[in-house]
Amino acid sequence: MSQVRFARWLLFAAPILFICVFLLVPLALTFTISFWERSGFTIKPGLSLDAYKVFFSGVRLSVLRTSLGFAAVVTVLGLLTAYPIAYFLALRVSPRVSQTCLFLFAVPFVINPIIRNFSLAYILGRTGPVNSFLKEIGLIERPVDWLLFSDFSVILGLTLSYMPFMIYPLWLSLAGIDRRYAEASWVLGVPPVKTFLRVTLPLSLPGVFAASIFGFVGTFGESSVPIILGGLGYQLMGNTITSTLDVLNYPLAAAMSSIVAATMLLFLVLWYRMFDIQLFLGKITLRRF
Amino acid sequence: MQYSRSAQVAIWAYVVVVLVLLYLPILPPIATSISPTGRQPSITSVSFKWYAQLASNPMLIESVKTSIKVALMVGLVTPLLALSAALAVRELKVPRLILMLMLLPLFIPGISLGLANAFLFQLADIAPSFWTILVVHVLWALPFAFLIVLTAISAFDPVYLESAYVHGANRLQAFITVELPNILPGILGSATFSVILSFNETVRTSLVQGPLNTVQTYIWSRYLQVGLSPQTYALMSLLILITLILIAGLLFFNLRKGKT
Amino acid sequence: MDNSRRDVLKKSLLTMGMLSAGLTSMRSAFAASKGTINFGDVGVSDPGGDWSKFVSATGWDVNLVAIGNAPSQVLNVLIAGGGRKTYDLMGIVGGMQKPLVENDLVLPIDTSRLSNWNRHTNIKKYVLDDPNGFKFIGWEGKVYMMPTFIQGDSIGYLPEFTGHVDSYGALFDPKFRGYTAVEDNFTTTGQKTALYLKMNNLATIDDPSNMTPSEVKQVVDFLVDKKKEGQFRLMWTSFQQSVDLFVNKEVYVQDCWEPMVFAARRQGVQAEYARPKEGYLLWSLGPYLVNNPNRTPEREEAIYQLLDFLLDDWYSATISLIHGYLTSPGAAEYARSHPGEFTSEQAEKVEQIHANVKSKFEMPGTWQQRWPTHVDVYEEEWARFRAA
Repeated sequence: MSQVRFARWLLFAAPILFICVFLLVPLALTFTISFWERSGFTIKPGLSLDAYKVFFSGVRLSVLRTSLGFAAVVTVLGLLTAYPIAYFLALRVSPRVSQTCLFLFAVPFVINPIIRNFSLAYILGRTGPVNSFLKEIGLIERPVDWLLFSDFSVILGLTLSYMPFMIYPLWLSLAGIDRRYAEASWVLGVPPVKTFLRVTLPLSLPGVFAASIFGFVGTFGESSVPIILGGLGYQLMGNTITSTLDVLNYPLAAAMSSIVAATMLLFLVLWYRMFDIQLFLGKITLRRF
Repeated sequence: MQYSRSAQVAIWAYVVVVLVLLYLPILPPIATSISPTGRQPSITSVSFKWYAQLASNPMLIESVKTSIKVALMVGLVTPLLALSAALAVRELKVPRLILMLMLLPLFIPGISLGLANAFLFQLADIAPSFWTILVVHVLWALPFAFLIVLTAISAFDPVYLESAYVHGANRLQAFITVELPNILPGILGSATFSVILSFNETVRTSLVQGPLNTVQTYIWSRYLQVGLSPQTYALMSLLILITLILIAGLLFFNLRKGKT
Repeated sequence: MDNSRRDVLKKSLLTMGMLSAGLTSMRSAFAASKGTINFGDVGVSDPGGDWSKFVSATGWDVNLVAIGNAPSQVLNVLIAGGGRKTYDLMGIVGGMQKPLVENDLVLPIDTSRLSNWNRHTNIKKYVLDDPNGFKFIGWEGKVYMMPTFIQGDSIGYLPEFTGHVDSYGALFDPKFRGYTAVEDNFTTTGQKTALYLKMNNLATIDDPSNMTPSEVKQVVDFLVDKKKEGQFRLMWTSFQQSVDLFVNKEVYVQDCWEPMVFAARRQGVQAEYARPKEGYLLWSLGPYLVNNPNRTPEREEAIYQLLDFLLDDWYSATISLIHGYLTSPGAAEYARSHPGEFTSEQAEKVEQIHANVKSKFEMPGTWQQRWPTHVDVYEEEWARFRAA
């Protein structure tokens, strides 16, 4: 019997152990290394704040600021684009149609974003299809330069990369709303817009928050988009971390990575405290366990 | 609360426009890969010679082999972990905690996740290998696989398990003969999705790949170092097609399930 | 219903089993070889994937792995990535002896074990006999990098927009404002700019290949001014980006490598590589022998055989044709006398390429400096240019 028990325990513990060993421990390790000291090309254990000093006093702090700004803009744009779609799919079409549409939105997300952004660089270039088209219809004479290697192209690339990812949590929370609330409000003669603002939107907030985190996570840690679509010396946290690794400054890379991860975990904790994750996953976990 | 016809059309138009924007970037590599000159899209006639040449590049073949091996292992390991986690949510007393832990990889940016694991392997003196790639891929795929399996398990009514117990089956027997067949489509779905995610991963892989290349790190290193040849575009197009086929399979399966 | 589901399970397990069996048999097909040499390389040492001549001669396979070329990236792979255990050779641009040797990461190459070394008159003439050339591959009198390819870099341009270009000044010409690009790299862009400023008496720089902190600052100040004027469209970071800049006519002049000009031509764009009056930025690329104390003598022997193979005439002709670099002196002759392997046009082309690179060495120019005395200042100043 005890053997069976042990096997059962092992079965359930396996995924938890996996996450602990390969995610929690490594993250803790990263945080520890951020306090280590550099000696030559290697690092040795220590309790130094050098990495954080360098980070908060150098150009990299502005990189953090830019990254946060971009992540915020992309998240808002993503929400504005994704929410109407999720709303429509969750409340206005049959389940089969909405499933099919959700799948269609999932496809571009799973196709490697790097490949998609290569194409974007071609599409937005001075002689690319967009500029050629604008010229063709006589809207412009000279190619529009800010389409590529600019804030615009980076934001577009990031939004197209991560917006599809935001639809699902939004849909999840919207589809879980009991329609009777909205109907009751409608029966009581409240106009649709007010109903939406007072009933539907607040009820979908867990999804909005989750979607925001997803959009933010992706954008904040992205390292290929600024390389492919960014302009002159474009730096976001993601590629700054890689280039710091390239100059063998592990404590600094670890410090930046920890700052990024900690920001995300902070959002996560907030979300966890504010909303019931099981209620949010209501559509998935049909009953409470 | 019905919409007017014009509002319906407008909303659908909006959905279609967003979909077009999302799908548009998939076209140029495909167009380049079938152009006989291998130049940027200017299709006069169609040629598949770049695809034929793929087989003659051993470095690329090696990367394809690594990717297939990793993807198959990810497709095998991830659903099992996901299944056991989903069962743990039901059986153990701390469902919220397990949910949170399983979803955690979604909240860690790829670069931080890859770097953290690189540090772990370095300090544990584990040389980068097939296994280190496997670990980061399973981490990345696990939350998705978990959600899919969880959905399947939640749709299964445990009353059937009770009746199996009544008929003298033990827990394991009941699970295998009654529940497993019911949730199998979900498990297969999570396996497929894991394979797709593994096949399309670059950033996390690049920090733990060591001397191995996956298809995606191969393409990325070509982009950085020696440029993309028409063959590379053919390779990208193949990856896109494989992904589309797998997704279409999933969709088809799902719709059929929805019908019955 | 349940039966059909169990069928699905059975079938899928069967498929997985078959697939893994297939993979195992694939592996055993390779087991015949004596071993595999792990060759980390920035991408240019690849003879179109064809190592068959080497494999059949020695019984060893070659596993070419793409690595980055940035000085610190290379160190990173060797120090952090477990690279000393994994790699046998690291093919990168030279000039990295100081950090590599001082950290015991590489071993000197015993050139007496290379049968092709002494007949390689190009290495002797252009690298060994030039003190600056030797500095690029050697350290304290010993050879650490085997110079497989030799080359001189300048800038590329599109003559249909610029006319003939014969100076680095085109990069900074207000006529092309917004239509030029530079590489995000202090060794290439930084040093070419220094060469330009020195040769045109626009700044007092003693040695463009090893500048003092104040000289570096002057150069970066100049670049920052130009950047602020909107001179550059892009600081490119990847090969493909640079090629696309020409192919999509995003820029007319850019600091790039000659292979990008070739790649653009293959895409039907008439691009040229300039012959600047200020001279070329000279460099050489080849493998460093990674220091792995646990290596067996058999493996070491195989590595030396591979090094020798990289200097042989077939390989040399093949690489010259792909990238346009100067290789072994017998390459053109080999191509001519082996019509089954090379066409007569190809043999002709090898000859031209070699003559072209040799003529670059007649010009003033300067050797690349990948690890200058004040490398920290270089890095810091470059970050300033990036962020400006």
